[in-house]
Amino acid sequence: MSSGTLIFQSVVLGVLLGGLYALLASGLTLYFGIMRVVMIAHSAFLILAAYLAWWSHTRLGVDPLLSLVVTVPLFFGAGVLLQRLLLSRLRPATLTMMSVLLTFAIAVVIEGLLGYAFTGTQRRIQLGYGAANLELFGARIAVVKLIAFGLAAVALLTLYLLLKKTTFGWSLRATIQHRDAARLVGIDTDRVAGYGFGIGLATAAVGGTALALDTTIYPSLHWHWIGPLMAIIVVGGLGSVPGAAAAAMLLGLTQSLLQIPLNTTWAQTIFYLALFATLAFRPQGFFGGRLAQRF
Amino acid sequence: MTTRMTTMRWATAFGATMVLALAGCSGGDDGGSSSDDPIVVGISLPLTGDFSEPGKGVQRGYQAWAKIVNDKGGLLGRQVELKILDDQSNADRVVSDYEQLIGQDQVDIVVGPFSTRLVVPAARVAEEYGMLFVEPAGAAKEVFEQGFKNLFYAAPAVADDHYNHLAEYILGLPAGQRPATAAYAAMDDPFAQGTAYGLKKKLEEGGVRTVVDEVYPPNTTDFSGIAAKIASSKADIVVGGSQYQDGVNLIVALQQLDYQPKLAAFSTAPTSPEFAAAIGNKTEGILAPTGYTQKAPYPSNVEFVEKYTAQFGSPPEEDEANAYTTGQVVAAAVTAVGCAEQGECQQKLVDWVRNNTVETVVGPLSWDATGKPQGAHMIQQWVGGEIQIVLPADAKETDIVYPKPAW
Repeated sequence: MSSGTLIFQSVVLGVLLGGLYALLASGLTLYFGIMRVVMIAHSAFLILAAYLAWWSHTRLGVDPLLSLVVTVPLFFGAGVLLQRLLLSRLRPATLTMMSVLLTFAIAVVIEGLLGYAFTGTQRRIQLGYGAANLELFGARIAVVKLIAFGLAAVALLTLYLLLKKTTFGWSLRATIQHRDAARLVGIDTDRVAGYGFGIGLATAAVGGTALALDTTIYPSLHWHWIGPLMAIIVVGGLGSVPGAAAAAMLLGLTQSLLQIPLNTTWAQTIFYLALFATLAFRPQGFFGGRLAQRF
Repeated sequence: MTTRMTTMRWATAFGATMVLALAGCSGGDDGGSSSDDPIVVGISLPLTGDFSEPGKGVQRGYQAWAKIVNDKGGLLGRQVELKILDDQSNADRVVSDYEQLIGQDQVDIVVGPFSTRLVVPAARVAEEYGMLFVEPAGAAKEVFEQGFKNLFYAAPAVADDHYNHLAEYILGLPAGQRPATAAYAAMDDPFAQGTAYGLKKKLEEGGVRTVVDEVYPPNTTDFSGIAAKIASSKADIVVGGSQYQDGVNLIVALQQLDYQPKLAAFSTAPTSPEFAAAIGNKTEGILAPTGYTQKAPYPSNVEFVEKYTAQFGSPPEEDEANAYTTGQVVAAAVTAVGCAEQGECQQKLVDWVRNNTVETVVGPLSWDATGKPQGAHMIQQWVGGEIQIVLPADAKETDIVYPKPAW
């Protein structure tokens, strides 16, 4: 009954939510960093991955987490092809604008195909542990949310190590920081950009699966996600993965806590308030993101 | 300039109306007396566009009604013929459709389209021509605030009255068992919110204190925050004004927080065929109001379900049943009054429906002066792994379980 328990419960829920947001937003900020591409279709790919997880669970009977073995390489390949065949053909002068139109079209195509293949019926993965929970100092933690959070943590850590510790990661970051300079020192920036795009889409495969564990999915669900995710990457500093993760955690926590005094409608507006504040006072973002200063 | 244009337009409109009126009179004179002519029923339905799914359901309901009536020899010895136009889910189109049906095609009867948005403009046209207008959709209270005199909603109740039987049951419990506190969560949608707030109003008047009152936007996907508030309030009962996915997500979020209320009622979601699978079969004791169920014991419903299934291969759902109910109301009025054509007959039909109770597949229906039905929805509960009617007492399949077992 005490509001102390409610606050603690909300903090726990906020952290779990923030972790999921961080995973979902990481790919989006990566695309922008690599190519200055605004990838509207990112959330559509999330929903596609969620559907594949649902499908493999209901039709093939495998745990949704196992679907990652197929979806991660598949999405990586799709990302490389998408970048090499479509996005790299856009004219550099109008790339950002045109990428919005192109990826918008891709999002609509994915939504249409999902509706065609699985109908508009709302689906939910039925897991034996769907409502199972643990108790932690009076707060309840749902096992599925914990798994989703774990997935996010592992995926983001992998991404971090990949960017910081491998040669490929270095060339990718060099491409993000200064494309021409990277080319001067012998980096094949086109190929690196393709692989970078593939990695971004691979995070969508992981994120979509995490999402499918604990929400109802339907083909047009992606429109509800793209707005908050865009807000997160702007607040975090466009192109900065750690920035996006920090912003996601902060906004998730704030949203969860704001629900106590306010209602759901107003708690959701925190994303857009943060977006306005960022654009008005610190357009380069609050966490990292030196990159966006040039825009 | 503008004034003269307006005057001319009025003059033209007046002239056209006179011609139509004269045409209508002469048509009525020789058309009505002939007993071989079919009774033409005009309908505009959203067969394409946003509402095409429910629109087609309504169409099947009307078709089933026409077939069942005709197989029994028709109405007043005349066959029933449906004339259905597609309004493409467009409110502008629905107006011209009904203008055409009544003015040009000279149909004998008109019945309503689907969805509140389309019912209001359609009813306005029917009202102008003085036609009886029985409609299968449009439960929102706005429909009954337009001052329509010829409109009747052919369903048991409007959204605010869906939970009436449950409110009566809760307030009738002995003082020791009656819940003291209640939590409400409703989607920001006139229909879903109407159901929850209808019950809230009655329970508050009966002394059940409201401890949580949350309204969420239709696009909400994360319900853990709302669930945390409800769980922390430890309310005795929880009421959800839900559609489908929000209801499912809220129930799962409440279960994840191990919240165990004495009673849980949610609109729409629990009656969906996918519901049990979606929440992992932890359905025990969940209540839901329902406007129509194939299992309802009313005599005409048994016939409807059997013949509908034979005609279409699967049993009817709520949209089909609402259309069929509309047909039943019209048929009862036509049979009792003994006429079906435009002109004076329509007012007699309106007066008859206003003053009588009609037996339908959703039970006996009667209406107030605004055309609002006077009934309440049946209440169903998940008992023993299936959803069964528990209220009202005269239609129940099994006894209501209260307090509900843990989910």
